[in-house]
Amino acid sequence: MKRYQDIPGDGGSDVPGQVEAHQARLKRRMAAVRHKVAILSGKGGVGKSTVTANLAVALARAGQRVAVLDADLNGPSMATLLGVRGVRPVLCEGGVLPAVGPLGVKVVSMDLFLAGDDTPLTWQGPSQTEAYLWRGSMEVNALREFLSDVEWGALDFLLLDLPPGSDRMANLAGLLPDLSGGIVVTIPTGLSHLVVRKAIALAREVLKAPLIGLLENMAPGPCPRCGEASGFPGGADSASVAEAVGIPFLGRVPFDPRLASAADRGLPLVLAHPEAPAAAALAQLAADVRAYVEWRAAEAPARGEG
Amino acid sequence: MKFLCVACDAPMALESARGPEAGSITAVFSCPACGRQVAMLTNPFETQLIKSMDVRLGGPAGPPEPLGFLTSALGSGKGEGDASGDTGTGPGCPFGGMVAAMGSGVGREEDGTPDGPLWTDEAAERLNRIPGFVRGMAKKGIEQFARERGYPRITGAVMDEARGALGM
Repeated sequence: MKRYQDIPGDGGSDVPGQVEAHQARLKRRMAAVRHKVAILSGKGGVGKSTVTANLAVALARAGQRVAVLDADLNGPSMATLLGVRGVRPVLCEGGVLPAVGPLGVKVVSMDLFLAGDDTPLTWQGPSQTEAYLWRGSMEVNALREFLSDVEWGALDFLLLDLPPGSDRMANLAGLLPDLSGGIVVTIPTGLSHLVVRKAIALAREVLKAPLIGLLENMAPGPCPRCGEASGFPGGADSASVAEAVGIPFLGRVPFDPRLASAADRGLPLVLAHPEAPAAAALAQLAADVRAYVEWRAAEAPARGEG
Repeated sequence: MKFLCVACDAPMALESARGPEAGSITAVFSCPACGRQVAMLTNPFETQLIKSMDVRLGGPAGPPEPLGFLTSALGSGKGEGDASGDTGTGPGCPFGGMVAAMGSGVGREEDGTPDGPLWTDEAAERLNRIPGFVRGMAKKGIEQFARERGYPRITGAVMDEARGALGM
């Protein structure tokens, strides 16, 4: 009697072929994107999404074609941060049109697909407990579809705002093997540094891309309103963390309460208050990131990737 | 999963697939030799596995629908499961291992630093193309790489070698 290995194929479903077709669609779509940059942090609440939104707009202001994919499916915030909340994605011939935020920044976020403010992300399943068990693979498929089915068009930058924690990095690496790099965001506290260092270690292991550097958000500085010192008093030094783990330090974004208020209005600080020191720091971040990815792209042939 | 007709010792072919309905997919296989048919009925766990892979038994029903998986797999958002289960449809940082330092000066061949390898003009020019916030670390790393191998000069070829070794 024949054994499993003696029978070629799978009886007609061609499951490997279907999976390959998914990958091929993704690759075709992403071919029009020059640089894919992930923004990550092991720690929640460090302002990663706010940094992403401001970085996107700062890059767009520098003439780049930019899109943001909110990869935080369970805690989506990018639609609010970029002022497109309530916009419903529209079907087009090539897929789904993204929402368009300030300066033409394209946005896709799970927020655009959920029914209302109080609607959490849940997946179908025999029961919610079982659906929860499968959430990892469901989320990967959702991300893959966002990447491959959205009509992103030709882009200079696609920024991926990852959820807090480290558990989605491997998914991203599987979907985007040609990721240009990752930006790690921290705040100047020992606790954040402790968690972020773990995320950096894991990112080095799983991401098939370099870490562009470590950015300190909510850095100490004078309050733009009253001039009093604000931020974390006696905060820990993020530059020394970057040095210790051997990645570049991307600078400090001073604490500015207007970052949050501008974010709530869907207007990133770099547009709402371009004169603010925090906005200047974010603009510098955009310039540095752009210089980095363009340098790496120029060096790609020498690395045998060209 | 494959099905074998025991009488004919022939692999059975997928005839049709239906569902998911009430958390189960029905797939009918038939023997191409004798025509015998069997039906496979998936349990909810198996159905979920297939759904989670975003594949269909029997192959795709047609051209892919944009966001087809997402629109079919999202829950009701009310915190309750859908009882039917119906879908309807050089790893790591390139600068790891480098000694962290943020200096940006480049020792040219004619003014080389006393304790470091000399940079040829070509190599120095390449180094200067590296973005400023990274350059210091890259320089230190390449110099250390050259020192460890006893290279007196850093040339373009040494930079290429270092890039491979350092994962840049």
